[in-house]
Amino acid sequence: MSSKDIITLLHGAGGSYMHNLIKQIFMTLDDNFGDIGLQMLDDGAVINNVVFTTDSFIVRPIFFKGGDIGRLSVSGTVNDIAMMGGDPVALSLGVVIEEGFPIHDLEKIVNSIKNTALEAGVHIVTGDTKVMEKGSLDKIIINTSGIGFRSKQLDHDIETLRKTREPKEWLVPLNLRPGDKIIVSGTIGDHAIAILSSREGIGFEANVSSDVAPLNKLINGILEIGGVADAKDPTRGGLADLLNDWSEKSKLGIYIREEDIPVKDEVRAASEFMGMDILELGNEGKAVIAVSPEYVKDVLNELWSIPQGKDASVIGEVRKDIEGVILETSIGGKRYVGRPLGDPVPRIC
Amino acid sequence: MKAFRIIISGIVQGVGFRPFIYRIAVRNNLKGYVRNLGGSEVEIKIIGKDDDLIGKFFSELFSNLPPSAKIEKMIVEESGIEDLSEFKILSSGNKIHEISEIPPDLSICDDCLKEVLDKNNKRRYYYAFNSCAFCGPKFSILYKVPYDRENTSMRDFPLCKDCTNEYYDPNNIRRFDAQGISCSICGPKLFLETIYGEKIDGDPISLTAKLIEEGNIVAIKGIGGFHIAVDPFNDDVIIKLRERKKRPQQPFALMGISTEVIKKYAEVSETEEYLLNSPERPIVLLKKKDNSSISKLISPGLDRNGFFLYYTGLHYLLLNQLKDKISIMTSGNKHGIPMCTDEECVRRELNGIVDYVLYHNRKIVNRVDDSVLRVSNGRIMMLRRGRGYAPTWIRLNREINYPVIAVGAELQNAGAIGFKDKVIPTQYIGDTDKIETLNNLEKYIKYFLNVYSLTPKIVIADKNPSYQSVKLATKLSQEYSAELIQVQHHFAHALSVASENGIEEGVAITIDGIGYGDDGNAWGGEVIKFDGIKYSREFHLEYVPYPGGDINALKPERMLAIFLSRILTFDEISKFVKLDSRELRVIEHQLKEKTLMTSSTGRFLDAISAFLGVCNKRTYEGEPAIKLEAFSKGKLLDFEFDLRNDEIITEKAFEWLIQNKDKDGRDLAYTIQYKLGKALVKTALKLNPEKILVSGGASVNEIILKGIMENSEGVEVITPNKVPAGDGGIALGQVFYSSFIES
Ligand SMILES: [Fe+3]
Ligand SMILES: [Mg+2]
Ligand SMILES: [Zn+2]
Ligand SMILES: [Zn+2]
Repeated sequence: MSSKDIITLLHGAGGSYMHNLIKQIFMTLDDNFGDIGLQMLDDGAVINNVVFTTDSFIVRPIFFKGGDIGRLSVSGTVNDIAMMGGDPVALSLGVVIEEGFPIHDLEKIVNSIKNTALEAGVHIVTGDTKVMEKGSLDKIIINTSGIGFRSKQLDHDIETLRKTREPKEWLVPLNLRPGDKIIVSGTIGDHAIAILSSREGIGFEANVSSDVAPLNKLINGILEIGGVADAKDPTRGGLADLLNDWSEKSKLGIYIREEDIPVKDEVRAASEFMGMDILELGNEGKAVIAVSPEYVKDVLNELWSIPQGKDASVIGEVRKDIEGVILETSIGGKRYVGRPLGDPVPRIC
Repeated sequence: MKAFRIIISGIVQGVGFRPFIYRIAVRNNLKGYVRNLGGSEVEIKIIGKDDDLIGKFFSELFSNLPPSAKIEKMIVEESGIEDLSEFKILSSGNKIHEISEIPPDLSICDDCLKEVLDKNNKRRYYYAFNSCAFCGPKFSILYKVPYDRENTSMRDFPLCKDCTNEYYDPNNIRRFDAQGISCSICGPKLFLETIYGEKIDGDPISLTAKLIEEGNIVAIKGIGGFHIAVDPFNDDVIIKLRERKKRPQQPFALMGISTEVIKKYAEVSETEEYLLNSPERPIVLLKKKDNSSISKLISPGLDRNGFFLYYTGLHYLLLNQLKDKISIMTSGNKHGIPMCTDEECVRRELNGIVDYVLYHNRKIVNRVDDSVLRVSNGRIMMLRRGRGYAPTWIRLNREINYPVIAVGAELQNAGAIGFKDKVIPTQYIGDTDKIETLNNLEKYIKYFLNVYSLTPKIVIADKNPSYQSVKLATKLSQEYSAELIQVQHHFAHALSVASENGIEEGVAITIDGIGYGDDGNAWGGEVIKFDGIKYSREFHLEYVPYPGGDINALKPERMLAIFLSRILTFDEISKFVKLDSRELRVIEHQLKEKTLMTSSTGRFLDAISAFLGVCNKRTYEGEPAIKLEAFSKGKLLDFEFDLRNDEIITEKAFEWLIQNKDKDGRDLAYTIQYKLGKALVKTALKLNPEKILVSGGASVNEIILKGIMENSEGVEVITPNKVPAGDGGIALGQVFYSSFIES
């Protein structure tokens, strides 16, 4: 990066810009601390069997079909802990509010935080509030940090992995092995389309609501079955970013089939209208799970038995004969899936 | 007594050049020798008694040159008289290691065809693979250089006794030392099967002809790949083929047995006739004749059909058994992925598309698609550079310091390698956004690096971060520890046409679909001034929003809505645009936010095409604009584009169209395209150019080009000729760029 370069919204869109920003600037902070520390760039860190993570939330609009910024801030941090194999316990809550924000809305948000925490079984144990002058932010920013302890089911899961590999102690990409199946826990893109359409008043929100939800119970359920090598939630940057992450960190290829990715018809139509790639759409209540092949059936059955997992599907597998992430398209032919570039860059002549 | 030493370079190896020299030397009583210097060069020594005979030798050399030989350079010097008793063909003993040019695949020559049709020719009558030094497959069967039989797939067919005799007889001008020769005794064989692999007994050629006439879909193995043949008079089978190939609209090419046959269905100018009959045998896009009996479904919505002539004995024998001596011959691929070159691929990929397959047992080493040309305003323009042209090299007027690789753009792509003053564009590769095709690009770049023993120091790619070819370039640059350089798309278009003409500075009009601009926007209608590798974008088509990116390329109606939004409200727009009301609402909202902008010519033409109801869905590249051109058989009306600052204001065209919507659409369409060309060239003229270069996919548009040429105020207009004006020519410009990089 040269001295002329400035932060643009592209850097905030997930994908390759954000990725480079982290690698080139924030990674200078890394001093190799922790069992899983900054260098792993995973969902959270692990120190002495305590999982620790933080996330800031901005969303426009703050109330949307299927949720609001409160539910989002609890779910996001709970899910980051769960995707490591941790049992989330306690959250901090930092709120920055724009001058002029209606108290009534704040009450609604806090109520939603309370309900979501209850649903996830976590507690808000500390907090901080700041108010900033009008125009210096867009309504409200919420930061949550959280800690969790090693999930009891994780020990069982890691034990089952030992039959086929030498796993790490936590759910990390290094556990991936060729032949592992990639499962998504439900339909892709609901959150992104719900947000976009309620923002733009397009009207898809009549049929699409955000999937925002805590997933710690879902993850614990499948850990109890076993064979789970890693799990991760496809938030900003969607499946494209997540799978590239897995491929880079595991140094293995990932092959997925477009046809097998569950997508609601409305989401498909809306993303086509907007010119968006479904693989890049963000989700807030979905997990992508890499599962050792002999456990796939049982893990799927477990997922199908709960409402959040009823649309779970195998979308592909980990392979060693390919590099990067390859999508087999439904019209035939294969293409590499790159990390999202923020705004789509046209390439069709 | 006089003696001369002559060095000739060009395509002089594997094309019967030495026996030709032998013959004209002996005929004129000259002594001396001829020998290959590595292959790209031939050395000749002639010693003669009188000037007259030497003069005759030279005149025969020029007037009777073997059809596939090409003289690029010739040095003649007087030399010492040696006491030689005869004229000899020497073996290439003196191995000067010069890099030799790989000969392209050429059509069967008239002499070979005569043998195939001669009932008294015991070994070659009805022989589908007949060839000689002057003709036949070369690049497509070549594993590696030098071009010797054991380095080609003809090595699987050891010569019989009679062929051996021909091969070693220096008096046999067509077969002496000719690597590809064979006869029905020793050469490849044909066999016919169902797609499931069941053999069909009988004469494969006449059975195939019968199957085609009965309405079957038959794959036919050719030179550089497979064709799919169907009866061009049978609507049902064409519909079936379109459904099976998932190719609803894209035109199919037609192969005929003679120009006379083709003339029944199309207008053929002198230039076009020459192209059709040239040994390269490209597909030539010819103006359809009205009321021709050929199916309308071959090229729906277009005023041209692609025609080519037979180019192997097999094609001739097959066409000759069809009632009308003509057949659809389209490439044997599944949409978007490369054409098959082997049986396994056919059984896998064409299962469900073809019913029967006519195979032969000669391996296709290199895939080479048919080339496609058209004549626009009297100029020959290449649309796809494949068989017959690739992989001949293009000479630059400058030297490149280091060997380079160029990966081109993305769709309809070709790569290139460059070294010294030579550029070797790969054959047409295809849409490299598909992995199968991208792998092909890598394969052929490496093939040419290998053949010419080069280690690249520079890898050049487009600037578009979403091109898969850029990822390939990154990988290659790491693999070879070479520097990666990215060149702006339209500047590469400009350099492509510049390099063909030895131009190093000037003004270029680059018009196409989309290329990644230096400002991150989607460029495509640019007037560029350049000097070496310095360039500036002086003018462009008006920026309009491009929300959602590529989706706009697939839906011309979206583009129409975007253009109309500049002059109308969305309520008014809904009267002109056939889009779902929700989709219109999406666009309305998207336009409220800051979005990517475009100055694309292609998208402007798409929107005009949609407005006039010509085409509102794109099923193949350029479809809306190509159909618009075909539709525009009209006259010129009163209209001019305006220039505002550095932008040619395109929205004005829509104001004018709405005001004149009751007039004949063909006149409106013609006027818009012609005046767009005029506006572009008028703008370019502001830069006081000596010459104006025109490049980019839209520059093959006859009407735009006419508008440019007729309004250039006497300034010469230069268009691409050796490579496609579209993205298939980008790699040449990329290589040319590297010639300006200091060492
Ligand atoms: Fe282009
Ligand atoms: Mg994880
Ligand atoms: Zn011949
Ligand atoms: Zn023979």
